[in-house]
Amino acid sequence: MKPLNRKLLRELFRAKGMLAAIISIIAAGVLFFVGMASLYYNLETSRRLYYSKCRMADFTVTVKKMPVVELEQLHEIKGVSEFRPRILFPVTVDLPGVERPVSGQILSLPEEPAPIINNIVIRKGSYFTDSLSSEIILNDTFATERDLEPGDQIELILNERKEVFHIVGTALSSEYVYVVGGGGIVPDPANFGIFYIKESLAEDLFNYQEAANQVVGILEEPSRKQPDDVLDRIERKLEPYGVSAVTPLEDQSSHFFLSSEIENLKTVVIILPGIFLTVAAIILNILMLRLVEQQRTIVGTLKAIGYTNREILIHYLKFGGTIGLCGGALGSTLGYLFAEVMTKHVYSKFFAFPKLVNQPYPGVLLTGVVISLLFSLLGSMRGVTKVMALSPAEAMRPKPPVRGRRIWLEKWTGLWKSLTLQTQFSLRGISRNRMRSLAGIFAASMGTMLLMVVLLMYDSMEEMMDFQFTKILVNDFEIGFKDPRGYGAFLETKRMPGVDYAEPMLHIACTLQHEHREKKVTVTGLIPGSRLTIPVNTEGDREPLPTVGLLLSKRLAEILDVGVGDQIWFEPTDREEELKKVPVAGIINSYLGLSAYADIDYLNRIVDYEDAVNSIQLKTVRDPTVEAEFLRQLKNTPVVQSVSSARHDRQLLEETMTGQLMISLSITIVFAGMIFFGSVLNSSLISLSEREQEIATLHVLGYTTREIARMFLQESLILNLVGLLVGLPLGIGLGWLMCVSMGTDLFRIPFVIKPGSILITIVVGTGFTLLAHVPLKRSIDRMDWVSALNVKE
Amino acid sequence: MSDKTIISIQNVSKTFVMGDVKVPVLHSVNLEIHEGDFVVIVGPSGSGKSTLLNLIGGLDRPTSGEIWFDSPDQKISGFSDSELTAYRREHVGFVFQFYNLVPTLTATENVQVASELSHEGMPPEEALNLVGLEHRVEHFPSQMSGGEQQRVAIARAIAKNPRVLLCDEPTGALDLSTGRSILGVLHRLNQELGKTVILITHNSAIAEMGTLCVHIGSGTIASKESNPHPVSPEEISW
Ligand SMILES: Nc1ncnc2c1ncn2[C@@H]1O[C@H](COP(=O)(O)OP(=O)(O)O)[C@@H](O)[C@H]1O
Ligand SMILES: [Mg+2]
Repeated sequence: MKPLNRKLLRELFRAKGMLAAIISIIAAGVLFFVGMASLYYNLETSRRLYYSKCRMADFTVTVKKMPVVELEQLHEIKGVSEFRPRILFPVTVDLPGVERPVSGQILSLPEEPAPIINNIVIRKGSYFTDSLSSEIILNDTFATERDLEPGDQIELILNERKEVFHIVGTALSSEYVYVVGGGGIVPDPANFGIFYIKESLAEDLFNYQEAANQVVGILEEPSRKQPDDVLDRIERKLEPYGVSAVTPLEDQSSHFFLSSEIENLKTVVIILPGIFLTVAAIILNILMLRLVEQQRTIVGTLKAIGYTNREILIHYLKFGGTIGLCGGALGSTLGYLFAEVMTKHVYSKFFAFPKLVNQPYPGVLLTGVVISLLFSLLGSMRGVTKVMALSPAEAMRPKPPVRGRRIWLEKWTGLWKSLTLQTQFSLRGISRNRMRSLAGIFAASMGTMLLMVVLLMYDSMEEMMDFQFTKILVNDFEIGFKDPRGYGAFLETKRMPGVDYAEPMLHIACTLQHEHREKKVTVTGLIPGSRLTIPVNTEGDREPLPTVGLLLSKRLAEILDVGVGDQIWFEPTDREEELKKVPVAGIINSYLGLSAYADIDYLNRIVDYEDAVNSIQLKTVRDPTVEAEFLRQLKNTPVVQSVSSARHDRQLLEETMTGQLMISLSITIVFAGMIFFGSVLNSSLISLSEREQEIATLHVLGYTTREIARMFLQESLILNLVGLLVGLPLGIGLGWLMCVSMGTDLFRIPFVIKPGSILITIVVGTGFTLLAHVPLKRSIDRMDWVSALNVKE
Repeated sequence: MSDKTIISIQNVSKTFVMGDVKVPVLHSVNLEIHEGDFVVIVGPSGSGKSTLLNLIGGLDRPTSGEIWFDSPDQKISGFSDSELTAYRREHVGFVFQFYNLVPTLTATENVQVASELSHEGMPPEEALNLVGLEHRVEHFPSQMSGGEQQRVAIARAIAKNPRVLLCDEPTGALDLSTGRSILGVLHRLNQELGKTVILITHNSAIAEMGTLCVHIGSGTIASKESNPHPVSPEEISW
């Protein structure tokens, strides 16, 4: 081996403590990059493969009922490539041994397997056979959760009748990668089933001979990116059949959730590694400057001996290069493992893919190493240019003594004198090494920012859940009927065992129009002073329900461009050409973006119903046996089409979210801690080696090692404090930006700053700074005082 | 000693510019050095000795005047940076007062740093033999005495097989007897291998061992004497 390479290795080995700190920060950055990028590609690839395998629809149109032959008209629309009619109905499932009725959807499929749009992938058993007409295929996640196997029977309540089906297979479909039934946010596969039955059977069961109520289709390539025009034309063509929803792929619920997860990965893949790698580069920059400073005469000697600038440059670049390679290789490996664990254990729980791709991406791994190398070389740059600038004759001359400049604080003599010697020592140290101090502040502020953002997101999510379930939706159960029923249905339900309190509701799907703007929404009719669904504003205050007119959410009012007092057109979805003019009676600044409320009596009047109800919310007695009796009766009420429970959703959400967030919170604390720890350790070790003589003198004068260590600690704590002061507002700003950008039309995320989060950030930052002093104290204890006093320079 | 001029210094001046201040250090220095000379340059501290040696060694360029190596072949005062590097690499070996060894390399490795630069280089072991250090080759600088470190530095300087050895106060940090033995090594290299040695010192006692003695004072050459009967290093004392 070349002697200079041997020198390199020995010097790297000597500085192993400091290098380990830098390498771990770099590795963390690369880990995030490689991990998130691999996850991104895993999800992206899985989605692409799955969508093409199932021939995922580009659009879905839901109508009331239309003859299948009439669909031929769609061929006239340019841009529509292919389509398939199907029958879709909500059902409830009566599972033996399960108290509550479980919701689900029934979908029609051709008798014979074919490469249809929104096809299924069989997981267990088989596709339909010829043997029975009542064959059913159910979605695999539900089957797994509920222990259902091909060969079993299942009872569904549809069209107010109980029907028995025979399970032939379980399947997955790209439409339901992320299944959220009944308006929840987290998937609840045990309580939402998807059931596929033969077309002929569906036609018979629902009286839809040669008819359908949904069309799924694929668009031609140019229209895929801009589907609005084509979808408008489709809607107009199908208008006579009562279009209730036209959903482009972009708004399809499963696709929406999956895509936002993929998009989020894309943001994180840049921000997190960016923070870590920048901090590492800055620390490395300082380390290299110090190294070159220490090796002044060696550089000069090498030049005198006849080494070219290039050779010396390469030698010093190898320092940064080695660090970069180590960090890159370590980070890439860990990043790949991280992606694997996340894919196998987290994403597979949230997303139902027949096969979730999980593989290493050579390009990503290599990029991880390359960016790590790049940042490391960048970090070495300043030290290396210093090497270049050094003339050999200059390097041989003894270094001029450091200017014993007074620091600005010293100008205030009185104040300065009142400080202890240790504080003076720390303050001088800080102001003499401006670059290093700034780097320390930078690292501390980045660590602070990171912690703060994650904690704020946690707070906001919690607040959102809390708001949703303590302010807006506080029911124990909500029961939905297939068609509007008279007030009697409400009274009947209210008298059921275990029901403590109940409220009638009327949901009307409709199109609201104002001038040329329109939006499909559901208007919720409530009783005045409702207690289970409450229109509240962002302050958490109840907005009074107008007796006449609609109460619109602010976002919806913006979309329609209306203000209080404006008249808008109201058109119920299931009744064509029945436009009514209604006034906007109030606007509510709510977290729920697209809600519209009305007094239930008023809503009844404008749709020409009389005391109609299609949903009932209730509170039940908190007694398991009474509640079980209530649910059992509910199961035997065929008119009930859906049962959801805000209480259950809340529990589920809390369990999933809390677990998730706790994990990501602890990961963040560890990684942010690494930034604090690494930067503090690095800069105080350098500071120690620079001031060996000074502190050896103090030691000889009688200062204990503990007192000396305290000076360094004080210095780090001051820098840390400044870093915290800078990082906190940065973190708050970034957190706010993230809340805003994560909000959608459907819901906005409240932004809250809890004092506890600020406290945690401060405690973690300070804690890791203190921790970094353990190795420093040991270095001070082990210092060779005599040789430190006798340095020749 | 031959009559062949190896270094010719003609009218060399050197002025350092530090911001607005000009520091004149050498004024019109003229000097001829012959191949195989043992030149001792004596002068008080700050008189410009190191500056002159750096110019000869191609570490710096004169402000005016010319320096020729193997004259009239190469005008090193007009060399570019890379030409100067090549010149240092091939022709000169430096020995410094504080040895300037790489602390993380052993004696052999320190010598190797230089020997591998030159095609005519000698194996590090041979160079260490020449300076009488055959048994401490695996030691690190911190495990050696000052005299031993300086021997390593000399071995490093000759390992490239240069024609000129430039020594800047090589005994400056050493005690009398160690200093003497170092001078003995340099003397032997001059006598046995015919290396041209240029040694600077503020110690006039050492001047007696040179074949040419140059006295320098505040940037000019005060006197030059050829010494037909140089004394051997053992006889010098200070
Ligand atoms: N690079 C430089 N910049 C400014 N002044 C210098 C430089 N090198 C040397 N000097 C000055 O030139 C003078 C001679 O220095 P030097 O050649 O080192 O003397 P000597 O080696 O004889 O002690 C000194 O006053 C020194 O301060
Ligand atoms: Mg000198």
